[in-house]
This record gives sequence, structure tokens and C-alpha cells, in this order.
Amino acid sequence: MTEEPNLSARELIEQLTPALSRRRRVQAVAALVAGLAGAVFAATLWWSEPGPLPGRTHLAFAVLTAFCLAWTGYGGWLLTRRVPLFATDRVVAAWLGLAASVTTTAGLAAVAVQRGTGLAPTLAVGGLFVAAALALAVRAHHRRAELLRRMHELTRADPASSD
Amino acid sequence: MTDELLVVRAQLGERAALAELVARWRVPVWTYVRRMLDAERADDVTQEIWLAVVRGLPRLREPGAFAPWLFTIARRSVTERLRGEYARAWEEPATDEAVTEDAVEAMVDRAALVSLLSGLPAPEREILVLFYLEDLSVEECARICRIPAGTVKSRLNRARRLLREHLEEKGYRP
Repeated sequence: MTEEPNLSARELIEQLTPALSRRRRVQAVAALVAGLAGAVFAATLWWSEPGPLPGRTHLAFAVLTAFCLAWTGYGGWLLTRRVPLFATDRVVAAWLGLAASVTTTAGLAAVAVQRGTGLAPTLAVGGLFVAAALALAVRAHHRRAELLRRMHELTRADPASSD
Repeated sequence: MTDELLVVRAQLGERAALAELVARWRVPVWTYVRRMLDAERADDVTQEIWLAVVRGLPRLREPGAFAPWLFTIARRSVTERLRGEYARAWEEPATDEAVTEDAVEAMVDRAALVSLLSGLPAPEREILVLFYLEDLSVEECARICRIPAGTVKSRLNRARRLLREHLEEKGYRP
């Protein structure tokens, strides 16, 4: 059997490089986190707005929320279908999500305090997102630790592989 | 370094481990694809498979079972191209017969096997490639093809019988 693949290993890796680029991973995580934070921020402001709003303001809030949700969907699609997020990336992404949740909640709480209304529901929604982001961060750390432990076990079993 | 260690390191985000994994499995994957498809499509499908592998690698839960997982992905891509051929293949009953050794192995070396494969139906060709050319076990073949181990064995026996008939047509005698 003399037939061989046309692509060498190096060429194959080069073909895979775009899917593995750090820039694409950062873009995907940023789209998801910023989109979700923006959607929650816009929707909460819209929902907690005191007094009746004119039709145009409703439309503006709806468009802004939909725009942010579209970015959330795009980021989610990238992360689940297109961009591989390895264990260390997941830890970083989870902390970014947590930071965005805390910042968005703090921003919304500040607006609620300024308006003097809606602080409790804002904190409840924000707390939910912070808790979800924290759970993802714990899971990401756990998975990474599990892989590191397995790597050390396998390296100890095969010392030649440590170089 | 074992495949499992390479997979774990790649899952942690180590690019060198991923590159080593690709280099190690590049030819076996291509061999499988090439035996199932023509040369024109083999390179494109191989690239598609590796892209799917890279995208799915972080979600692989059993790093020790990398080979069956890899060939499951490869098979999915190949099956999409051979949908027509697979649809024509009939469903044979799962039997628990043993994989019998026969004269085919004595008559045919790997190179000759490769040249004869193209004449077989896709399911039989696939099982021969996985079992003989990729050296996977019956259990791994069953997992990759999503069929019971008994069906793998009966399909292997049928494939060997077909091969024997092809060989005899060409004038080989045990």
C-alpha cells in the first residue's frame, strides 16, 4: 500500500489553526458574556422602569434586548459548535462570566437605588446569574483539576513521557 | 507517551499534545477514509473529520477510549458520503458466532486486501478496514459502528466469504 495522504501532519495542523486560534475563543466568550449581560441589563431596566413609557421607548428597549440576545445566541453557537474551549480556557471563561454577572448586578442595583424602587427583584435576578456563573466556575476548576490529576497519574506510570 | 496522556494534555489546552495526536493518527484516519471513499474525496473528508475531532475533544469523557471515539467521528463523515450505499445494505440478524479463521488470511496480505476492498459493499468494507487495517477489536468495531458485537462478527464472516469469492474469481486457490 504505497498511497499516502496528500497533507503532511504540519499542513493538517495549519488547516486546523483557525479553529484553535485564541482570538476566536476570546471573541466567542466575549459575544456570549457581553450579549447576556447586555440583555439582562436592558430587560431589567425596561421591566423596572417607573411609570408608563411611550411606544417608542418600548420599541427601543425591545430592539436593544433582542440585539443583545442575538449576540448571546451567536456566542453560544460558536462555543458549542465551532470553537473548542479546553479546560484552562473554560476556567478563564467562567471567571469572565462571573465578573460580568457581578458588574451587571452592581450596575442594575445602583440604578434601582437611584430610582428608589425595584432593588429586591434586581438583586434576585442578579443573584441568580452570579450563582450560575459561580457554579460554572466551580465546575470548570473541578474538571481542570481532574484532568491535571489524571495527567500526573499517567506521567508517573510512564516516566519517559514527562519530557 | 500513551494516547490517553496526549488526550488529557490536549484537553488541558496543550497545543503540542494536540499536534502530536494529529500526527500520530493522521495516517490511520486517512487510510480508513481512503478505503471507504475515492481519492478525490478522501482528503476533504479527512480534514472535515479532524476539524470535528478538535471541536469535540474538550467534551471527550473517556480519554482512554480515544481511538473508538475518533473512528466514530470518521465513520459519521464517511457515512454521510455513502448514504446511498448504506441504505442498500440489508440488516443482518445479530448472531454470536466466533470470528473464524479461514484461508483468506493465508492467501491475502494487507496490500492485496486493500486492492480487493473496493469491490465489497460499504458495511463489509468498513468492518474489514476497522478490524484488519486499523487493528481494532470486535468490541471497538461494535462501538464505532453502533451495532452489537455479534453483528460485527457475522459481518466479518460475510466480508471474508465475499473476499474469498472475489479471490477465487481472480484465480487464487487456497
